[in-house]
Amino acid sequence: MDRLLIGAVPLAALLVALLAPPPVAANDFYAVVDLRAVAADGLRSFLNGGLGELRFDDQHDGVRLGSVSIGYRHDFFDIVHFTANAVAYGDHDRSPLDLTEFFAEVRPYPCGSWRSRLKIGAFYAPISLENRLQGWRSAYSLSASAINTWIGEEFRTIGAEYDLDWLGRQHGHSWELGVTGAVYGWNNYSGEVIALRGWAIHDRQTTLFGRIGEPGVGSVSGLREFSGGADQRAGYYVGASAKYLSGLELRVLHYDNRADTTAYSNGLNAFGWNTRFDSAGLRWTPTDQWTVISQWLAGKTVVGDSAFNNAQLTGFYAFEFRSAFVLLSWQRGADRLSGRYDDFEMHQTRSDGFFNTDRGHAWTLAYQRELNKSWSVVVEALQIDSRLALRGVIGEPVAARERELQLAVRFQL
Amino acid sequence: MAGSGRRCVRAALAALTMCAVIGGWCRGAISADLTVSVLDSAGHGVAGIVIIAESDAALPDKHLAHTAIMDQQHMQFVPRILVVQTGTGVDFPNSDQIQHQVYSFSAPKSFKLSLYAGHKYPPVVFDRPGLVTLGCNIHDGMLGYIYVTDSPFFGRSDDSGQLQLHGLPAGNYTLTAWHPQLQEAGGSSLQLRLTLADNSQPTPVFHLTHPLRADTTHNGDKRWTDY
Repeated sequence: MDRLLIGAVPLAALLVALLAPPPVAANDFYAVVDLRAVAADGLRSFLNGGLGELRFDDQHDGVRLGSVSIGYRHDFFDIVHFTANAVAYGDHDRSPLDLTEFFAEVRPYPCGSWRSRLKIGAFYAPISLENRLQGWRSAYSLSASAINTWIGEEFRTIGAEYDLDWLGRQHGHSWELGVTGAVYGWNNYSGEVIALRGWAIHDRQTTLFGRIGEPGVGSVSGLREFSGGADQRAGYYVGASAKYLSGLELRVLHYDNRADTTAYSNGLNAFGWNTRFDSAGLRWTPTDQWTVISQWLAGKTVVGDSAFNNAQLTGFYAFEFRSAFVLLSWQRGADRLSGRYDDFEMHQTRSDGFFNTDRGHAWTLAYQRELNKSWSVVVEALQIDSRLALRGVIGEPVAARERELQLAVRFQL
Repeated sequence: MAGSGRRCVRAALAALTMCAVIGGWCRGAISADLTVSVLDSAGHGVAGIVIIAESDAALPDKHLAHTAIMDQQHMQFVPRILVVQTGTGVDFPNSDQIQHQVYSFSAPKSFKLSLYAGHKYPPVVFDRPGLVTLGCNIHDGMLGYIYVTDSPFFGRSDDSGQLQLHGLPAGNYTLTAWHPQLQEAGGSSLQLRLTLADNSQPTPVFHLTHPLRADTTHNGDKRWTDY
């Protein structure tokens, strides 16, 4: 019953959205079907009970469903814009189709050089500079960077975000500046996945009512990311952005979910994970052909009872993490070629015994071609080298080189 | 006979008057053609620069066109820069498959076109001279410029950096070159003074000391959103 209900909520919401008055422009609705041919030689995937850092492993070679993404946007009263995005991965999640974002944005006309925006609902924090396609998919490769893979796994702003933009270019200046701030809930367990499995590189976003992996299998087993749990504290983030002409964009953000690490949820069998990080990113488009994107993120997450602030206290765990990537992309006409280098690291700073660590780097090369308005193909080769200490605990080699070759055929409606 | 003499006098007077009128008109119509060039520091022509010739003296009314078009394609204004005479109506069709929300808060013309696709609104009349900057509230990367001038003598430089203006009455003129990406000492515009004599064909040149500020406008794709 519970399962049925949970599946019904996002579907009902989507149905309501689809039955709303018809949009003025017909393409406010989109659907993308992404079919994959996969060849992978990695460890058993974290989604499959293992501690591999890719979505597919050698048990999942062959033809797979990459995703079915659907979305809808509707405008009310000229300045209120409603967006719903949903996805299906065909991998035994709690609901076969579930929402990833569901929000309304109030976007009044600018007042002189200034413009306010207010978003309410469930949506992504403005961190990624590569996930630019509808449904927060990467515009440059199949798999997002380690940083943005993690954002897609463990973070969703479920609350309200306010932006204030200074539109300097309207008044002859070269810059546009913005500040942003948000308060949100239901992110009290963000941090657990990176502390256990370390970093990963893939394209699977955790849905609003979904989970990561299947329950009872492996270390990352059926985690429900967006649950309220026992913790009533709201988290926050503050950020700033700057755009120089049309070619350069910079973003910084400070994030703190303010989770109560001592609040234990019987239902979820978990303490809160207090996760704080800083992130910065740059996207530079010097010409129509070239794009350079780089992001950096570093922070820490703690869990358990630290009431005595004693490093030896059993039940208090702390982890520090950081990652950075550089992406270079070249486009001409229907062809786009992108290469990315990711570097990542996570280490445990407090423990009652075992100290988990994850260090590694990854290379991703992707080629995409638009065949026509509806069809496109993407080929992606990915290699990730990592040393994840927790693998030793389950009897797997700590160091691993995992490779994945994917061919995606996409049809967009 | 006497009647015939009076008729002759009247005809002669009429002919004289006509000559005087025609002569005056002809003299007024004696005018200059102007070839204005914009050259970069290496001597190469610079295309797309707005050029306006404004007479110091009041000129007889001469209105060239009553409508112009600024389209929206691939999430950009096309053309991105338009120069029109005061009183011109500008049409803003939206050829994209998504809706745009066009606005301006510039002093010469402030207006908003609520979300639309296709061809929904009548032309917007630009009835005061000056620079109007346009935006789309949905797509912040869309930026358009309409330079509104009282003068009937204007245009944009071609690929060789030249603009030909015809039929300018003799007199003193101020020539203005403007482009949002000009970065000269005086900002985004340059001026020259010029005296035009009858039947002259001067070729004034604007010499840019700095290259245009790099500002690639990227065509948008409706599948790309503002994350």
